[in-house]
Amino acid sequence: MSTGQMSLGQRGKKRGVRGRMQWSAYGYLSPALITIAIFSVLPTLLTIVVSFTNASAIHFTNPSFVGLKNFADLFNMNNPLAQVFIPTFLWTVTFAFVSTTLNYFVGLFLAILLNNKNMKESTIYRSILIIPWAVPGLISILIWQGLLNQSYGQINALLHTFGIFDIPWLVNPFWARVSVIMVNLWLSFPYMMTVCLGGLQAIPEELYEAAGIDGATFWQKFRFVTMPSIWKISLPLLIPGFAYQFTNFNIIYLLTTGGPARNSTQFAGYTDNLASAIYKMSLQFSRYDLGATLAVVLFVLVGLFSWINMRATGAFQEVD
Amino acid sequence: MASVKKRLRPGESAVLWMSRVILWIVIVLTILPMLYVVTASFNPTQAYFSSSLIPTHPSLANYQTLFQQGQFLVWLRNSTIVGLSLGVGQLLITATAAYAFSRMRFFGRKNGIMFLLILQMFPNFLTISVIYYALAQWGLLDNLWVYILVQLGGSAYNIWLLKKYFDTVPKELDEAAVMDGAGHWQIFWKVVLPLARPMLVVIFFFTLIGSFSEYILAGTIIQSASNYTLGLGLYSLISNQFAKNWGEFAAAAILSALPLTIAFGLLNRWIASGLVAGSVKG
Repeated sequence: MSTGQMSLGQRGKKRGVRGRMQWSAYGYLSPALITIAIFSVLPTLLTIVVSFTNASAIHFTNPSFVGLKNFADLFNMNNPLAQVFIPTFLWTVTFAFVSTTLNYFVGLFLAILLNNKNMKESTIYRSILIIPWAVPGLISILIWQGLLNQSYGQINALLHTFGIFDIPWLVNPFWARVSVIMVNLWLSFPYMMTVCLGGLQAIPEELYEAAGIDGATFWQKFRFVTMPSIWKISLPLLIPGFAYQFTNFNIIYLLTTGGPARNSTQFAGYTDNLASAIYKMSLQFSRYDLGATLAVVLFVLVGLFSWINMRATGAFQEVD
Repeated sequence: MASVKKRLRPGESAVLWMSRVILWIVIVLTILPMLYVVTASFNPTQAYFSSSLIPTHPSLANYQTLFQQGQFLVWLRNSTIVGLSLGVGQLLITATAAYAFSRMRFFGRKNGIMFLLILQMFPNFLTISVIYYALAQWGLLDNLWVYILVQLGGSAYNIWLLKKYFDTVPKELDEAAVMDGAGHWQIFWKVVLPLARPMLVVIFFFTLIGSFSEYILAGTIIQSASNYTLGLGLYSLISNQFAKNWGEFAAAAILSALPLTIAFGLLNRWIASGLVAGSVKG
């Protein structure tokens, strides 16, 4: 970089290309900046505004500001809305945490198995295991919805041959949650596995040889050579993973439609997370105000995690 | 490499075989669901409640129904329009911005991408309340082009990926071009962009494949069946009269997933290297 600048600097008349502020840069940036402003920033700001109003089907053309009422309703335990929101909020966090951790450890475990130099055929295994990542997620989730159907699905038909009868996969609150987490595992482990494998293969062979000379056992090599290297690539993988699972709409809505329904309320079922609750609030119940309020809660949640991510990993800081 | 035909120690051999057995089990669990769908697609109606992988009365009936009665081809056309528009749009929008971040000097260069990445931590599909509310008031719902437009925001992540790739194009090439009298536009168009073709292809296909998995905005904006994307169409097939439509759904799922899966496989190496460049610092 600096040598390039030197040689250009010496050729005085071409100075414009490097060195000084270039206004034309904003021309190059404008397509991205304008579209981001219109389609990312503006809707976000409007969502915050709408969360302070009563915009809904009843007040469709004449919404008015109601202050913090929507937020107060969500957190006031006497309000029926809070009785839906708080369990939904907790499930959103639980799902994101359990799912991300599980996906990561399964991916890491398989990567460790595949990274065995004595296993000559491991590339073949890898290419097969990557299939769930290659199939578009929406299609796989819908396929799983069919396979897990209690009466007609092939999963129950298969379990039947082992003497296990009619597990109510998508219709019982507990099993519906298990289904969501397991299907998400099926969808997500190949990505985690691939990135972990990349990290494992980047560990220099000399480190293991040196450890071997020092008399390290298999376990010691794993603990003191493999784990530290893995940890370095894991954080930038795990924390965005949480942020992503917080807002994972498809896995919930396309697999269970948020159901099974609660007896107490129609607003959200047992597997609804905040993202699918926003969708239902807006489209089924025409409560744009509450949809926007839930979105703001989710913004805060995601923002908090992203901030932790940035602090913990220093990702993107080298940009220059 | 050095040790040719080294005999494994007993411990190593045990680890190897245990690993193999675990991997075989995982592989079966991974591909079994896919095989079931293939079976279902070749099974005529009502013959699916079976754990057998071999169709009881194999036929192409489901595929025929799909092309003759259903709206599969309409969905496919709509999704292709959406995917191609978004893929091309994303390249047009991000390429010049990535060039500016890689090669130009301006206020905001140092922290600009970071700032944009933070802005986009909040995916815009969470704002569907507002999007639906606004589009309903303006009478713009149920329009495929509006659906495309709403998703046409530049992706900060793609700008970042592309910028890192542009950075690997040697600056000496720029200097050579400058000596030949080239300005920024020629350097961008004739030097940097052609050399970045692999990353452009990756971003194009990422966007295209991603668009096939988009449901929430499609469900918000699109209403009539003639505007359905594959996602909406497949969802409607499996949610209405599941028992009747499972075979047809399976056929549709296979036909739509197959080309994308193959494209992904072919691009796998490029995509993997792109991901490593993106996720590992430095």
